[in-house]
Amino acid sequence: MSPLELADWLPRSNTVNLLAALFLLSALRAAGTRRVRGCINAYRWNSLALGLIALVVAFDTGSRSVALASVLIVALKAGLIPWLLSRRVRSEQVLTRVDLPMGMLLCGALVVLAFSQTRVLFGPSPSILASCLPVSVATLLVALFVMVTRRQALLQVLGLVLVGNAIFLAAVSITQRMPLLIPMGLLLDLLAGVALLGSSAGGVEDKLGEVSASPFDRTTGGA
Amino acid sequence: MIAIALLLVPVLAAAISILARGAAWGPRASLVGHVATAALAATLAASVLAGGPLSAADGWLRADALAALLALLISVMALLTSWYGHDYLTLVRSLEPPDARWEAGRYEAIVHVLVATMLLAALTDDLALLWIALEGSLLAATVLVGYYRRPGAIEAAWKFLLLGSIGVSLALLATVLLHHAGARALGAGSESLRWSMLMANAASLDAHFVRMAFLFALVGYGAMAGLAPMHSGMPDAHAQAPAPSAALIATALSAVILVALFRFHAIAAASVGPAWSSGLLTLFGALSIAVAVPFLLVQGEFKRLLAWSSLAHIGFVTLAIGFGSPLAGLAGLLHLVVGSFARGLAFLVGGSLLHATGSRRMDHAAGILVASPSLGLLLLVAAIGLVGLPPAGTFVSQWLALTGGLITDRGTAAILSIVALALAFLGISFHVLRMLLGVSLAGFRDRLPRRSHLPMAVLAAFVLILGVWLPSPVRALLDQAARVIRP
Repeated sequence: MSPLELADWLPRSNTVNLLAALFLLSALRAAGTRRVRGCINAYRWNSLALGLIALVVAFDTGSRSVALASVLIVALKAGLIPWLLSRRVRSEQVLTRVDLPMGMLLCGALVVLAFSQTRVLFGPSPSILASCLPVSVATLLVALFVMVTRRQALLQVLGLVLVGNAIFLAAVSITQRMPLLIPMGLLLDLLAGVALLGSSAGGVEDKLGEVSASPFDRTTGGA
Repeated sequence: MIAIALLLVPVLAAAISILARGAAWGPRASLVGHVATAALAATLAASVLAGGPLSAADGWLRADALAALLALLISVMALLTSWYGHDYLTLVRSLEPPDARWEAGRYEAIVHVLVATMLLAALTDDLALLWIALEGSLLAATVLVGYYRRPGAIEAAWKFLLLGSIGVSLALLATVLLHHAGARALGAGSESLRWSMLMANAASLDAHFVRMAFLFALVGYGAMAGLAPMHSGMPDAHAQAPAPSAALIATALSAVILVALFRFHAIAAASVGPAWSSGLLTLFGALSIAVAVPFLLVQGEFKRLLAWSSLAHIGFVTLAIGFGSPLAGLAGLLHLVVGSFARGLAFLVGGSLLHATGSRRMDHAAGILVASPSLGLLLLVAAIGLVGLPPAGTFVSQWLALTGGLITDRGTAAILSIVALALAFLGISFHVLRMLLGVSLAGFRDRLPRRSHLPMAVLAAFVLILGVWLPSPVRALLDQAARVIRP
């Protein structure tokens, strides 16, 4: 099989479509729930969907590296990271800058935007790329929205790991043979891990209060 | 071989710094490491100039003129800031309560790790490895930003890490998309993310995906470098990090990330035509200069003034590369180099002033020229370099870049940025003149030893000399480097 065929080879499959839907819906759930543990659970489902998509891709292509990636995703993203996150839950209530109904409306708009802008890339393409890339970009935007609007450091980290999932979905569906893909995915999670450790070891929330710790507050650049 | 040695020396120096465990020779050994790195970088630049690009490690590393220039800039900045940092950190440690101090050698080791990752990012030909190296740099730099562990520093490190992580994530997506764009032409194997291969086959890349990849790279690497409007983490990070680290992060790290962005730009320009990506670079560059201006006019703290000036500088480099003309491209890289020397000098002077006045605020310093003439002169040279007055090298680079911009069809952006630069000039000179002139305040005392002025004097000499004389090897290196990314 030539590389060209491999890159465009995977046909659309209903299983992948279904899992991609689960992937997007769980990200939206993370953006919409009022409970911190609910967010973490949504992330767990999100990672599980990602791991299963990777498994389907691995099955179809026979790629060992993607199979390894799917095992790692399930173990780390659906197991270890949610566990680490849930150990650091201090308060049950999600604190946001934008109230939740309005936030969900905006997330809906982001999803429409992502689909309308990425669908044009493919036309009536038969590859799974056509179903996964729009979902990936939509999830990316929703995850960034979560990062920007949540006041708690923990939920900002959760947004970051969701961003990581969205990008990994794009990576798995686009390129099954990209060199260094797995180390890159692991490093992205490492970054989130460092952020999480830093937030508790450095006491970001303790020292600053949950309100002022966001990087998205206006910088105090003036006089 | 030289490229591999260049990467190994800082790693080795980091290990030695840790192993020294506070022995008196530890910091000196660390400095020797920086000297060796700089010497190797100079050798590398000389051999690239003489014999063209060098490849090593099975093609994973490839030193073209741009990479050699960048490696030289990184290692020189690391050497001079660490030389200054040797005395600065001794002073800082003596002021800290013992339980808040870092273990001896840890700071030096992390600086070496930062240098190693930046050098890897500069020298690698593989875009995936570039991404990994930049993520490593981000982690190392975060630790340095949070050095003081007081609430402001922790908040700054948190912002820096989180915004950097978003940037890193988007840059990963850009890398993945570019791999897909190239998979058709290059196959999906290990050569499909080699920058030189992508450039050579740019015409056969999938244009839609190249466009998307550049957009994500612009936002991702732009956020890491601190281009407006993704800059909100940078001013705090620069203001909170210890002066020598801030000088290194604001110059070398920004330069490495910007060059990574320019390499994506070169691929996009060769693949879909130069107009589109150049236009975006011009837009973001001009925006960065414009955003910095109000904060340069109304500002209370010196290090924040420098941080906003850094934003204007990297914006200007981006703008110059975006102009796309050969003259502007060359001038953009010259500005990247001389501007780094000027900003590095300014951050180091800022460190001395912080301890001399005991305050971050600029209105707590006056009459520095009288109180400490040598420090005052260094501050004057730094300010001349920041605003681009003759005889500083930044005057030449800004002049050439704007001339190169006015002859393109992006003249409006050039004219608008001239206005913004004039306003920035007013802001910086107003603040610095108030610090330099007038009656010196009681209690002003330079608490660092006199020898700490030496690395600053070297930087000042670079800033001034490059304005009146560009040695022919430097000019040749800049010229070849500019050709690497010219559309």
